[in-house]
Amino acid sequence: MPLAGSLDIRNLLDDAPTVTLTDREMHIDAVDILQVMYEIGFSDVEALVPAALNPTIPPVVGFLVYQAAESEFGPFSLAQVRLTARAGVRPRAYLVSACCDNAAAAEALSGSWGYRIQPADVRLRRFHDRVECTVMADRRAILEVALVDPTPITGHDIQYPPGMHLARVADEKGTTPRLIQVDSEYEFQRADRGRPELGTFDAAAWGDERLVAVEPVSASFAACDVTITNVRYICNPDIPAAEGTLNVGA
Amino acid sequence: MELSVPRPWTAESERQVYANALEQVRLADELGFDYVWAVEHHFLEEYSHCSAPDLFLTACAMQTSRIRIGHGVVACVPQYQSPIRVAERAAVLDILSGGRLELGTGRSATWTELGGFHANPDETKKTWDEFVRVIPKMWTQERFSWNGRMFSMPERAILPKPIQKPHPPIWVAVTSPGTEIDAADRGLGCLGLTPGGFKESEVRVNTYRAHIENCDPVSDIVNNKVHTVNFLSCAEDGDHARRSGLKVASMFSYMASQLLSAKEVLPTNSYPSAGLLPALRRESGSPGDAAKSFKGVTMGTPDDVAAAIRQWEAVGYDGINFIAQFMEVVPQQYVLDSMRLFAEEVMPQFKVAPRTLPVAVGAR
Repeated sequence: MPLAGSLDIRNLLDDAPTVTLTDREMHIDAVDILQVMYEIGFSDVEALVPAALNPTIPPVVGFLVYQAAESEFGPFSLAQVRLTARAGVRPRAYLVSACCDNAAAAEALSGSWGYRIQPADVRLRRFHDRVECTVMADRRAILEVALVDPTPITGHDIQYPPGMHLARVADEKGTTPRLIQVDSEYEFQRADRGRPELGTFDAAAWGDERLVAVEPVSASFAACDVTITNVRYICNPDIPAAEGTLNVGA
Repeated sequence: MELSVPRPWTAESERQVYANALEQVRLADELGFDYVWAVEHHFLEEYSHCSAPDLFLTACAMQTSRIRIGHGVVACVPQYQSPIRVAERAAVLDILSGGRLELGTGRSATWTELGGFHANPDETKKTWDEFVRVIPKMWTQERFSWNGRMFSMPERAILPKPIQKPHPPIWVAVTSPGTEIDAADRGLGCLGLTPGGFKESEVRVNTYRAHIENCDPVSDIVNNKVHTVNFLSCAEDGDHARRSGLKVASMFSYMASQLLSAKEVLPTNSYPSAGLLPALRRESGSPGDAAKSFKGVTMGTPDDVAAAIRQWEAVGYDGINFIAQFMEVVPQQYVLDSMRLFAEEVMPQFKVAPRTLPVAVGAR
């Protein structure tokens, strides 16, 4: 049978975000996006994602960084650590955790889409020969990642699979653990790709010390408008997505 | 044949999968099936343990007398193997099979495989192009030399030569849109690997036919055949056949989905589609759904299967390559019975003409 997730989510639920399901969307103009992907070690790969999901072969960690020059919350930067996964046969990315430098944006992202966010200084810097991101938490670098030697591509060549965010969904019983499927739409103005480079990745600081990046895969940069759409699907994290997916939005 | 092996992998489970596959091939030969194809895959865990298809196909050749031996899809990626080794091994297989070899060419679509060999996905179209141009020359020239983009060699005799003259038919695996044009322009057969919709398929077949009329073939023969792929499950009880066939199709889709497509993790225009999955995924209604049946699926009673084949025939396909088993999800006896019933009741409705061999360029 296919490899299936077996992540013990009990500890994660203690500080999981609480989501109130609404039809809220978030549109952000002129977002710079850096995505750097590395294969991670195979050991215990099933224990990295919840039972609703399947790991991929090989497992890949994606460092996804948004830098918004303006938004309804002012400028903000968001760095995510995600794992490639599957919900049934569909490509997804399981959110391990995220860092954000704007408390209001973080609150909105957590409360509506289940982003597990800690405050941090997230900096994305563009040069002609590289695009780099540094995330500092408690005055310590927990992520230093870069795209080196950018060359232009079309944005349609870049894939950002929908996120799967572990959260507590508010309901009449109080809250219920669910995976929130977070879909986004992108309108690309420009895109590049280049060589991935990983300086620092403090996996423990991101919530799972078992993540060890072992093999570079790719790096891309895009400038685009982003719309995080309203939540349409949620999954019971304890059973396969094929059986436990619920349509909650139009 | 993917030769998929469910976990836990033991010496016995792998041996049994290979033994079952060989039994299916012997029966197919006896019943009058035209081809057996065995893929080349690496590192795909449960999905496929067929990393040395030429060895498996040699066993097939030695246990059969009539069926064509489809060595494909062979990965035309230099990090996997040199084109010299492809030409040599395929020629040996042609000799041992008594001139029954068909060579299918391709380039891999998964990061799982390409990344495992540190192959560059941006390069695979180009390397495939060079492989398909040099292999026929290696087969037909007494001595061969080459100074190309990805491959070069001084003059040497590449031996043995295949029995079929001038050489065995060559095919191309077609998943990405436009690859049917690549196949046609080079005078190569089109080995469709995604069961798309009828209209989409008809457009691709017609495009192929139009292009191959004016092709610039890579050798002295043109293989102008177009095949598609489907799932075979045939039983007198149509519901039972559909349930069994859907088990195979669903597991195929589910296991394939765990692999990482090159497109998914590397922004590249070298892979316009994600490979063999999109058609199956497109049929999934909600995020968690497994694959459902698609139009024209060859499952059901003999009449159902024959009706589906007629639809594909009307689209313009010359043949269908069937997947009858995957991960051993249906009993071996069911697979054999399904093949027998198909041969008895469906095949006679379509076996109207002997198979035609590729056309010599001068004879077109």
